Amino acid sequence: MKYAQLVMGPAGSGKSTYCSVMHNHCLSTGRTLRMVNLDPACEVFNYPAVVDVRDLISVNDVQEDEELILGPNGALVFCMEYLVQNLDWLHDELDEGEDDYFVIDCPGQIELYSHLPVMRQIVDALKSWDFNVCSVFLIDTNFVLEAEKFISGALTALSAMVAIETPAINVLTKMDLLSERNKQLVDEFLETDTRSIVDQDETVWNAKHRRLTRTIAQVLEDYSIVKFVPLNCEDEESIDQLLLTIDTTIQYGEDLEVKDHYPEELDPEQLDHV
Amino acid sequence: MSAENQQPSSSEIPEIPATQTGPNLAQKPSVLVLGMAGSGKTTFVQRLTAYLHARKTPPYVINLDPAVTKVPYPVNVDIRDTVKYKEVMKEFGMGPNGAIMTCLNLMCTRFDKVIELINKRSDDFSVCLLDTPGQIEAFTWSASGSIITDSLASSHPTVNLCLQVVMYIVDSARATNPTTFMSNMLYACSILYRTKLPFIVVFNKADIVKPTFALKWMQDFERFDEALEDNRSSYMNDLSRSLSLVLDEFYCGLKTVCVSSATGEGFDDVMTAIAESVEAYKTEYVPMYEKVLAEKKELDEKERKKREEEAMKGKAVHDLNKRDAGNEDEDGMLESELNAKVDRIHLGGVDEENDEDAEIERAT
Repeated sequence: MKYAQLVMGPAGSGKSTYCSVMHNHCLSTGRTLRMVNLDPACEVFNYPAVVDVRDLISVNDVQEDEELILGPNGALVFCMEYLVQNLDWLHDELDEGEDDYFVIDCPGQIELYSHLPVMRQIVDALKSWDFNVCSVFLIDTNFVLEAEKFISGALTALSAMVAIETPAINVLTKMDLLSERNKQLVDEFLETDTRSIVDQDETVWNAKHRRLTRTIAQVLEDYSIVKFVPLNCEDEESIDQLLLTIDTTIQYGEDLEVKDHYPEELDPEQLDHV
Repeated sequence: MSAENQQPSSSEIPEIPATQTGPNLAQKPSVLVLGMAGSGKTTFVQRLTAYLHARKTPPYVINLDPAVTKVPYPVNVDIRDTVKYKEVMKEFGMGPNGAIMTCLNLMCTRFDKVIELINKRSDDFSVCLLDTPGQIEAFTWSASGSIITDSLASSHPTVNLCLQVVMYIVDSARATNPTTFMSNMLYACSILYRTKLPFIVVFNKADIVKPTFALKWMQDFERFDEALEDNRSSYMNDLSRSLSLVLDEFYCGLKTVCVSSATGEGFDDVMTAIAESVEAYKTEYVPMYEKVLAEKKELDEKERKKREEEAMKGKAVHDLNKRDAGNEDEDGMLESELNAKVDRIHLGGVDEENDEDAEIERAT
């Protein structure tokens, strides 16, 4: 069994930061995360990637091509469709061993999830290669500081989730950038049950949309898979907590075998270095 | 932004007393056109512009897409005049996504100028149309998109323009897949919650695929559920059924129109829908806006009173001290005491805390 986290979310939500933070965190605890970049339009990232889709094709290449006259969106779609046609390349690059854990940085555009089958096809391929896949959907906390915006965020996450059909964890990023007051507000959102959040504000708009809001709140309640987990990149505990949640969802660790080293099994050369 | 209270010069606009807090009801409506990349926003705006010109009620058109190569309609304000997309990419060494966001950010800092421009021309047009960037998140999940939307929506009474309608364009050809349809509608719902404005879903490309399937799905929950069942894995069964119920609620009272921007069919319906939404805005949203303003005033009043009380207390103590101590610099001490009180009122004492944060009432 191999494991993969698919890191998704709107542009600017902190996907690349999340990836490098996770990587560093796991290094310090002795775990190896294998990082994959699947965003052909990405510019720069500061984690070591074992696979980079830009080795296969990148948006810059496509946009520079004289024959295909594509803008940024068209180029991105083209790259993703090209990737899907060359999934063998991906499989070779991944070169996965048993129990390997991958973190896959995906492109942000929601169109790729809801409008086109590409992400779904990639996920299906991973599953066929014996991967347990979980999506990690990131949202910048600064955009969900009001009850209605919070619901909006949840709906966006749901929208992506429905399209690719994997277990999902939704993460509120950039908690470290909030003021104290806003941190409290977010904590409240996360602890209170969703229905009472939305009943707080009595405005005409809310009254008009009350039934809709209640129905949404009900779904969020019933399916706790749509709960949000806060992430403070500066706080080791916060990172740890999130990783634990993801690991549980992905069922990592259940199949792990205890590794022990008997002297007879060690390489004689290694023994000399001890 | 010209924020001083000027009396509007046009005789049609009613006299606005200086104390009015709500939006100017004689304002021209503006329509924000949103949608996924490739759904046909720009073509829609083009067709709508032509339609309005033909009826001698020309619109004022704003293009907010920095990466578009050609704008096929007569545009009044074009973000590409203010910010050059390719140059941004070069100068800041960014890729296409970063460049689009940066262009929007730069535009956003100048948006008050845009509003001034529109204000001056407000007598010349019937409605203002805003064409947005291809990638929908560049607008819906970015700070600059929020700022632009908010500055148009919460317009000052002296500005003759107000954001009143959101039109969400859907590519009918792609939406025939029920999972895609559901995902798309959920996203539309999420935008509804972000903007909290009258919302119209436009099924575009009716010349390629008749959107009647979409209308049937929206009217008949069972039918949609059936279509979905063939498509989904068992994992998502319950969740997607519950979500279909959510969407069922969403559809109640949702305005939809089917159009083809290519052939022009359905645009009479578009105008009707916009007119109805503008009416709805005036009767439903304006009171909400006024209420929010009233609450803000109340909070400001409370804060002010609180500070006065604290200052008075500080002064009483100070007087006592003065009697004991004698000849200190009175003004200086009072000043520093007042400052100390004010700092403590400002909860958390965090520098970045802005006015917006201070308004939110904390339940104690």
